[in-house]
Amino acid sequence: MPEAPLIVEKLSFRYRDRQGLAIDHISFAANPGEILLIAGASGCGKTTLIRCINGLIPRSYKGELSGRVLVFGEDTSTWKLSQISQKIGTVLQDPERQILGTRVLNEVAFGLENLGMPRQEIFKRVDETLSYLSISHLRDRETFNLSGGEKQMVALAGVLAMRPSILLLDEPLASLDPASARDTLDTVRALADGGMTVLLIEHRVEDVLRIRPERVMFMTDGQVRYLGNLPGLSKVVNYREVKLPAEDIIERAKADPPPAEIKILPGAASVKSGNEALVRFENVGFGYEPETEVLHGINLEVKRGDVIAVLGPNGAGKTTFVKHAIGLLKPKSGRVFVNGVDTKESSVAQIASTLGYVFQSPSHMLFAPTVREELAFGPSNLKHPKDQIEQEVKAALRIVNLSDKEKDPPLALSFGQQKRVSIAAVLAMRSRILVMDEPTAGQDYQNYMNFMDSILQLPGFEAILFITHDVDLAVIYANRVLLIADGRLMADGKPQDVLRDFDRLKACHLVPSSLLALNLKRLPQTGRFLRAEALAHI
Amino acid sequence: MIVAWRFRKREKSLIQWFDPRAWIIFYLCFLFSTLASWDIRFLLPFFLISIIVLLTSGVTWHEMRRAFLFIVGFVFFFSILTFLTGRGGTEVYKTEHLIRQFKASFSILGWTPTLDITVERAWFGVCQFVRVFSIAVMTILIPYSLDPALYGITFKGLRLPDNIAYAMDLTMRFIPTFGRDFQLTMDAQRARGYELEKISGGLIEQVRKLGPLMVPVTIHAIMGSEDIIDAMDLRAFGVGVRTWLDQLTYHRRDRILVAFGVFLLVGSLVVGFLGYGKFWVPPELLRLAGG
Repeated sequence: MPEAPLIVEKLSFRYRDRQGLAIDHISFAANPGEILLIAGASGCGKTTLIRCINGLIPRSYKGELSGRVLVFGEDTSTWKLSQISQKIGTVLQDPERQILGTRVLNEVAFGLENLGMPRQEIFKRVDETLSYLSISHLRDRETFNLSGGEKQMVALAGVLAMRPSILLLDEPLASLDPASARDTLDTVRALADGGMTVLLIEHRVEDVLRIRPERVMFMTDGQVRYLGNLPGLSKVVNYREVKLPAEDIIERAKADPPPAEIKILPGAASVKSGNEALVRFENVGFGYEPETEVLHGINLEVKRGDVIAVLGPNGAGKTTFVKHAIGLLKPKSGRVFVNGVDTKESSVAQIASTLGYVFQSPSHMLFAPTVREELAFGPSNLKHPKDQIEQEVKAALRIVNLSDKEKDPPLALSFGQQKRVSIAAVLAMRSRILVMDEPTAGQDYQNYMNFMDSILQLPGFEAILFITHDVDLAVIYANRVLLIADGRLMADGKPQDVLRDFDRLKACHLVPSSLLALNLKRLPQTGRFLRAEALAHI
Repeated sequence: MIVAWRFRKREKSLIQWFDPRAWIIFYLCFLFSTLASWDIRFLLPFFLISIIVLLTSGVTWHEMRRAFLFIVGFVFFFSILTFLTGRGGTEVYKTEHLIRQFKASFSILGWTPTLDITVERAWFGVCQFVRVFSIAVMTILIPYSLDPALYGITFKGLRLPDNIAYAMDLTMRFIPTFGRDFQLTMDAQRARGYELEKISGGLIEQVRKLGPLMVPVTIHAIMGSEDIIDAMDLRAFGVGVRTWLDQLTYHRRDRILVAFGVFLLVGSLVVGFLGYGKFWVPPELLRLAGG
């Protein structure tokens, strides 16, 4: 039998400035034509493993490394990064962090230019790669104007053009809408079927299962907890740790007691005032440039008790829409009212006491020396009393499960933890409406389900609105769904009404999940959408 | 993601008619020629060139309005400041002819605030405006007119090594990227009730209160640069002689432009060497002040 393209032997690594091993004695071999799915909680060492294999460790990230990585039988420790990059291609989590070229052509050609290939050969390879990925039409487009899915394919093309034998993908679906994620996965399957060895890190395990990865590695605390075929995974892994197909969860949850009923937005019910809109959009139109409109004629109201999921394709205008609610953008036509006051007449700070907005990227807001100070920043700006701030900070930390990190510098935490700090920072402000842009992106399943459960049970909020690509998040938590595509409100209603129209979902780049399908099937019995664990007991 | 300036191909744009290397060489010649003189008789032709370039650039008023107003406001503000304080000009003129003096009706510790309006100060302010405005106009047109995809090959074409040429390419694109990140952080902090316009306290306190803006922007810039380095390393950057996919070709017009730029520069240096080009005040103005 020929030697495996990739063999990892007893690999351990500790980052120079951190205590403890990031990965600990990891050994495995990956075969040609195989997709090896690597799953595990945030901070379990998945990305460190990828960095060891692609050579960034120890070349760019310093620390103590032991063990070996063999590529086609050769130890790569003495190889230059340029040698490794011709054998091993890496696609990073966020394509925006990987794309360097201003045009697709330049981006895909970048690696080949660096290898000093003849110009004609570069053009040939670029065109072949673009054609293989069916994105030849993007060749002369500016990378900045591509959609999220297109960026991911272009980043992949830039790696594939170098014709690696091994492909490492670090959460390639994290920023993609479901349809783009499905297309990316289909491409990955086709690459493996063509003989490539693929290591795929992904939290969205259910999505990946569709392309039948040959094996799964499940990691915990830097170690391999499971390495084997797919059916074996659900036997060793708790269904709360990894997002499995709804049928699997139901099968296994039957043996457990039914999940506790979540009392959504208890604060909304206790408010006695009338049913007036907290936020009202009146025929709102907006464009960043005068000649191009991003939002067209948006009309809607956010009312007390609403838990709204905003779904739609990458670049549909979802973030632009919610930025109008917080007053960061003012409509070019129409009006937005928050608490009955036109946002054109309020400052963002004034609106912030009503509406707290959690941005997508935590690194754009974290600055304080400790998590505690970070969380106290918002309430201090809103002039909350000092003792109240203390309580707000502690409660927010508890909700996001970071009470032990109170004195840690937020910028030294992992991405998933930073994301939770950014959410806690807004939770601490106790705004009446919580708005979150992709609250679950880059986080592991167990963590985001726990904090979504906690957030929805918070007594302080009267309404919650979140942008997401995760249809199941809308199924489980929302009592209202907005579908936005091309800057227009395509649908607004109860999840069971909006999400049953699969043609409309397809038009909005959404893919029905197994949980949605099961819920629709059982809707006559249940009368509402439920999580898989609850369906197991009906 | 690295953001590019708002470039687009423009019909009948004088700048875009030339090879970007030729334009950069001409721009540098223009820059140093303008800086070589304080004599408005020498500065006015450069001012005229900048206006011609501006009007033939194809950049619409809407596109450049914000940048243009900022630059003009900035230049005007500093020209006025120089005029009021008299600082800056004293290096190029020794004597001053007083037109009018304004004295405050009060004194602070024995010092009475006084504004001397002199011919030299006023004329120096005008010269400074013309000089800096010409350079500023030529500078702000570059990002609107040069194709970002050609930055690297342009600098490579100016005989810079591969690494430096690509670094220059990234540096040119760092500025709009930084601007984008700053705006994102500003929005994120405003959504937490932070109001930049209400910052109060002493200088140190005010700087400290800028932390919520400056720390994330700086950290993001560092993280962004690490990502860029990783992305470059993972695709074999810097391992040997690089092929540049894009190619640039000099035409006759480009050679003429370069020759014109060099002529301007050499001319300015020769004029300076011969003792001309120094600060000059029209005699009529001196006579008005009784000089």
